[in-house]
Amino acid sequence: MSDSEARTAREEWGSRFGFLMAMLGAMVGAGNIWRMPFTTGENGGGAFLVAYILLLYLIAVPGLMAETMIGRYTNHGVIGAFRKVLGSKRAQGLGLVVLIVNVALMSYYAPIIGWALYYAGHSVLMTFTQPGFQPQAFWDGFISNPALVVGIHTVTMAGLAGVLVFGIRRGIERVVKWMIPLLVVALVAVSIRGITLPGGMEGVAFVFTPDWGYLTRGSTWVAALSQALFSTGLGWGIALTYGSYLSRYDDVPLGGGLFTAIGNTSIGLLAVFATFPVVFAFGLEPSAGSNLLFISMAQVFPELPGGSLWAIVFFVSFFFATFTSGLGITEVAVTTVSEETRLSRTGAVLASCGAIWLFGLPSAYSSAFLGRMDFMFGSFGLPLATLSIIALVAWKFGPERARVLDLNRNAGVYVGPWWNPVVKYVIPVVMVFILGYGVYSSIGTANQRLMLLGVAFMAGLVVVSTLVMSVVGDEPPSGSATVPGGDD
Amino acid sequence: MALSTLTWVSMLVSLLLLPGVAAAVLVRSLRTEERKLALLREQGDIDSYSPRALSDLREWIRANPDDPYAPIARRRYNECVRSLRGIDEPHYDWSDEEIARLELVDE
Repeated sequence: MSDSEARTAREEWGSRFGFLMAMLGAMVGAGNIWRMPFTTGENGGGAFLVAYILLLYLIAVPGLMAETMIGRYTNHGVIGAFRKVLGSKRAQGLGLVVLIVNVALMSYYAPIIGWALYYAGHSVLMTFTQPGFQPQAFWDGFISNPALVVGIHTVTMAGLAGVLVFGIRRGIERVVKWMIPLLVVALVAVSIRGITLPGGMEGVAFVFTPDWGYLTRGSTWVAALSQALFSTGLGWGIALTYGSYLSRYDDVPLGGGLFTAIGNTSIGLLAVFATFPVVFAFGLEPSAGSNLLFISMAQVFPELPGGSLWAIVFFVSFFFATFTSGLGITEVAVTTVSEETRLSRTGAVLASCGAIWLFGLPSAYSSAFLGRMDFMFGSFGLPLATLSIIALVAWKFGPERARVLDLNRNAGVYVGPWWNPVVKYVIPVVMVFILGYGVYSSIGTANQRLMLLGVAFMAGLVVVSTLVMSVVGDEPPSGSATVPGGDD
Repeated sequence: MALSTLTWVSMLVSLLLLPGVAAAVLVRSLRTEERKLALLREQGDIDSYSPRALSDLREWIRANPDDPYAPIARRRYNECVRSLRGIDEPHYDWSDEEIARLELVDE
C-alpha cells in the first residue's frame, strides 16, 4: 500500500498549533507544577537547572524526536507500531506492555485530575476565601469521603470520554487549543502576583541561586535525569500516538522533539515562579509535594488581596494541566483499542475509559494505594515502556534509517548523524541506569518489598504480554519479518 | 530581598534557554507550516527533503542497496526529485543548479 493510500483512512491534526498544544498539554502535568519547583530548590537551584537543561537537550529532545517519528512512520498506535517494525506476533507483546503501563498509570492519575477538578470547582464557588475556611480539614474531609472521591473520579473519566469521543481534531485539538494558552497566561499572572509579594523574591533566590557543589553529587544528576525523562513524557506512547496522526507534510523534529521537551520544561519553570514566591512569602513548607497545592496553597488565598480570583486562576489552570495530560495518556489506549479490535472510535473510548475508571477505583478510594501504584509504575513501568519504544527505533528500525528516511522528511530543522548514538546508546543506558538506581536505592528501605513486587510484576508483564500477543496478535505485514535489526 | 548577580544570571539564562527557545521554536514552526500550506495550495506539491537531508538519503541508498527499506527510500528520493523539477518555488533552500544536478535513482 502506498503512503498516500495508507493515510487517507486515518484522521489527521487540523492545524500545526493544535498538534503542538496537544503535545505540550499531554506532557505538562501535575509533576511539572508540584515536583519541578521543589526538585530544583532541593538540588542546588541554578546548579540543578544547568544539569537538567543539559540532559534535556541531550536526551529528552532526541528521544521525543525518535518516538514521534516512529508514530508518523508507522501511522499506528503502540501495538500496531511494534507489529509494523518488529514483524512478529510475539514482539507485539512489547506494544501491549506500553499499553498496560499507560492504562495503569492513568488509573491512578485520573483520581489526581479529580482532585484538581474538585479544587477548581470550589475555587469558582469561592470556598477558599470563606470565613473560617480550614484547608487541612477541607482536604481531609474530601479525601476521606469515598462517595465523593469516587464520584469525582467518575466525573473525570466521563469528562475525558466526552472529549475523546469526538476524535483528534474535533475532540482533543479543540480543547487543548484554548486550555494550554490559558494555562500559560494563568501561570504568568500568578507568577507576577507571587514575586511582587513581600518576601516573594526569597523563593526566587532559593530556586535560582546556584550551589555548584551539587553538580559533583550523583543524586543531583539522577534527579535531573528523572525529571528530564519523566516530566517530558518520553516513552509513554503519547508522542508515538499523537505522531501517528501527523500528515506526511508535517515536521517531526522541531515540533515533536524540540518544542515538546523545551515547552514542557518552560511551563515547569513558570510553575517555579508561580509557587515558590508564594511559598516563601507565606512561610510554607516547600517540600510538601501534592500537599503543597491542595493544603498549603489553599490557605494562602484568603490572605491575598483579590484572593478568590487568584484561587480560580491557580486551581483552574492546574486542572487544565492535569486534564490535558489525561487526554494524551488515555488516547494511547483509545487509538490502540480502536485499531486492534472491531470497536468503533466511540466503542474504543467507552472501553478504554471504562477500564481506566474501574482500575482507578482503588486509587481513588485510597491515597496510600495510589502512592504504591505511583512507586511501582513510575519507578519501573515507565522506564520499561520507554526502553521498549526506544529499542524499537534504535535497535530494530535503526537510527540512521530512521533519520534519513523519515525524521528529516519535511523537517523544520535538519537532524545530523549525532542523533544516532544518542538514541542507540545514551538513552537506553540512561534508562537501564535509572531502573537499576531505583532498585538499588530501595534496598534496605520501607519500599524494598514494593520494589521487589514492582520488578517481578514488570518481568511477568513482559512474559505474559509476549505470550498473549503470540496467540491473539495480528499477523505482521508481509516482508517485515526479514528486516534486520538496527542499521545492520 | 535583593537577588545576587549570580542568581539574576542563573534566572535569566534559564528563562532564555527554556521559555525563550520554546517561544522561538513555536513561532518558527507555525511560520514554516504556514508557508508549506501556502506552497501546497499554490503548486499542489512541495519538496520533502532539504538539500542536506536528500544528500544523506542518496548516500544511504547507495550504501544500502539491498536493505529491506531501500525501496521506500528510493521511492521517497525520486518523489522529492520529481517534485523539485515540477514546482516553481521549493520549500527548502534549493538552488536551480542543485536541482538540475539531481538524478532519479532506479526503483
